[in-house]
Amino acid sequence: MTEEPYRWLEAIGNRREYIRDQLKGGTPVFACSRPEGILLVGVGQGMSKVFEIYDRHGFAALGHPVDIEKIRQAAIEAAHLEGFNRSARDVTLRRLIGFALSTTLKNAFEQIYSPPIIVESIFAELGESQREDVLVRVHFDGHHKYISDGVVAAHIDQKLEDEAVAWLREHIKPDDSLGRVTNLCLNAWRALADSKPFAELKPSSDPFSANGKTVEVALLDRKLPGPVHYRSLDFAKLKG
Amino acid sequence: MNGDFIALLPKPNLAQLGTSAACPEHLQATTVFAFHCKEGVVIAGDHRATAGNIIFSDKTEKILELDSHSLMAIAGVPATAFEMARTLQTSFEFYRRSQLQSMSLKAKIRALSRLLRDNLPATLQGFGIVQPIFAGVEVDDPNAKPVIFFYDPLGAQFEAATYAGSGSGSGSIKSVLHYLERWGKPRPAEMSVDEAITLATRLLMTAAEFDAATGGVHPDRRLFATIKLLTREGTRSISLDEMERCWKESCA
Repeated sequence: MTEEPYRWLEAIGNRREYIRDQLKGGTPVFACSRPEGILLVGVGQGMSKVFEIYDRHGFAALGHPVDIEKIRQAAIEAAHLEGFNRSARDVTLRRLIGFALSTTLKNAFEQIYSPPIIVESIFAELGESQREDVLVRVHFDGHHKYISDGVVAAHIDQKLEDEAVAWLREHIKPDDSLGRVTNLCLNAWRALADSKPFAELKPSSDPFSANGKTVEVALLDRKLPGPVHYRSLDFAKLKG
Repeated sequence: MNGDFIALLPKPNLAQLGTSAACPEHLQATTVFAFHCKEGVVIAGDHRATAGNIIFSDKTEKILELDSHSLMAIAGVPATAFEMARTLQTSFEFYRRSQLQSMSLKAKIRALSRLLRDNLPATLQGFGIVQPIFAGVEVDDPNAKPVIFFYDPLGAQFEAATYAGSGSGSGSIKSVLHYLERWGKPRPAEMSVDEAITLATRLLMTAAEFDAATGGVHPDRRLFATIKLLTREGTRSISLDEMERCWKESCA
């Protein structure tokens, strides 16, 4: 059946639709480049959504937990092999995503007889300064985009995701504390989860009602001594 | 996906190598030791690497941090030892990140043993012998105390109750440590960090007196050993200033 080109296109279309349908239960994740480092925010329900990949690299994703794990392991493996064979400085997102992960994702997406990888994700690489930070939005089909203005989100709906990012860019100020930036991300998270329009959304510092979910916040900390820069932050102790 | 980084690396094919008369004299790194003090474990080494009767380097770093809670002191062929340390460093971090938990102390001790065993062909052919000392503390146990392990070149591991030494100058050091452990007042295990730093400096000066392959410590020229401290909280490098202060105070 798929030997005919149009059948293949149809199968790919169906697959894209199927993946998007499977992603519907997922909630967004965010990454913001700050003077202190790169802040990663996610809200999980039992399963983690924010992870350490390598010395200066973090990852946040939504999707099927098994597939998130698959991508996380692939990234950790590629990064550590590269860091071991060359050096930690040679582990870069440009190579990690360009030559390892995006190919894996694209192949998995186009192999229509094998199960797809149901993941929407963000990768972050800490630079020496905020200007050198690298944020990448990676889609389930391997398509990826480098984000140059310091804020990125991953969500199931591209239009809403763009609106959330635009809203965050408008409201995050250069001297905002990590607590306030986390709160703004959670404002955007709530709006996306409740399908509220961003045009009417005002920043709120009201306590975030988690409803049994766990807020995960991590920082790729620029000032942390030693090679490892990733650390988890205690959301309860972050002051907005 | 079992968190085993070593399994991802290609297997070394050393069995096919042979020794030859044209083979250059291989490097040796000596002398390292570790002993328990009141606050944890002091682990120290000189900076000398030799090739036969040639001093190849007097700036060799032999006390290597494997992660925030474990250290390895290397004696033997540096090429192999450094590679082992790098493999372990990556392996421990790989495990922590991929399995979302720290590797247990027992597994770390075993990992070094496994690398030594994998190095068996080089060891038996005489050009890749490594006799390391490992010091570590269990990360997830708040009551854990630092331990010292020493290894034979084939990978057998032994826990040192009080001290361990390796390398050509370690004979003198172990003799002095044995004496102090038996009759010292205080015994090394009862010493404060400052006292232990002074002892480590003096031990290396003693070893250098009898072993040409042990690099001397010369406080008058601000040349000190590498000394690191391992406590429940993790590893700490003793700075040059700290070693100099302890030395001056001990001489006062």
